[in-house]
Amino acid sequence: MSDEARLENLAKRLGARAAERLDVAATAQKVVERLREQPVRRIVWVQQTWLRIAAALVVVVGGAVAVRQNVVRSHAAHPAHLVADDLSDLSTDELRDVLATFDQLIRTDSGAVPESSTDLHELDAQQLRAVLRSLEG
Amino acid sequence: MAHPLPRPETSGDAALILAWQSGDEQAAAELVGRHARPLARFLAGAGAPDADVDDLVQETFIRAFRSVGRFRGQCQFRTWLLTIGGNVLKDFGRRAARRKVLPLDEAVRDVTGDPHEHAEAREAEELLAAGLQKLPRLQREVFLLRAQQGLEYDEIAAALATTPGAARVHYHHAVRKLKEIVE
Repeated sequence: MSDEARLENLAKRLGARAAERLDVAATAQKVVERLREQPVRRIVWVQQTWLRIAAALVVVVGGAVAVRQNVVRSHAAHPAHLVADDLSDLSTDELRDVLATFDQLIRTDSGAVPESSTDLHELDAQQLRAVLRSLEG
Repeated sequence: MAHPLPRPETSGDAALILAWQSGDEQAAAELVGRHARPLARFLAGAGAPDADVDDLVQETFIRAFRSVGRFRGQCQFRTWLLTIGGNVLKDFGRRAARRKVLPLDEAVRDVTGDPHEHAEAREAEELLAAGLQKLPRLQREVFLLRAQQGLEYDEIAAALATTPGAARVHYHHAVRKLKEIVE
């Protein structure tokens, strides 16, 4: 007998005792009873499936929102916008100080700025805000 | 070379499946009666502890009856049932590993008859059973479906969603490895 045939003979005997011990009629009875007691759990399966889909959506949408916020925050980090946001809270004197600081900065960066900045004291709050906004570009 | 066993009465299976789907519990019981023993042999051969074979057979039939709507007759009902049994056994193994429950030791299993004869008869089977546990699942199942259940390669391939050629290759790899282990 070849090795392969011997293996096949052994395989045919494998599990034979377990099969002989099995009470087939009792097993059939138990299976039928379990099928009767536990109807198809399709609803549970559907619920679980929807829960999984919902969880996946939360992860995807949450991730997208987080990424979007990061992008918006990186754009919002421009200093000029921060200045503009605060303008309405400043008093006339504070606006003049800000403009004077701007003026100082511009004068330091470029000698081409005219001396007319001294006229700032004659402007009211609204005009000063308009000047500041125009400087922001 | 394996000599396939006579095919089970597949046309009868189809009628019983239809009857079960129409609510005939007796048809389900009849299907269990036809296929429970070959399923038990397959499960035991694939490594199911003897004490759990009954439960695993029941669980396999429960799963099969609940998903019988997905059975398209691509293979025999029994072959499809055996592949479900393979999945049930895999899940059982995972649960057992989590609970750290070890299978019964061979030495404390039920032993009847002449001990010497029994030991001799079991030695080779135990070697084969141990060898089967060392094979990849696909090779193990192909080997059992072919050598133990006597199925043709095309039937095995249909059940395991592979090709007959691939099933043949898995079988020959399994035989080669098992020869080394058993010898």
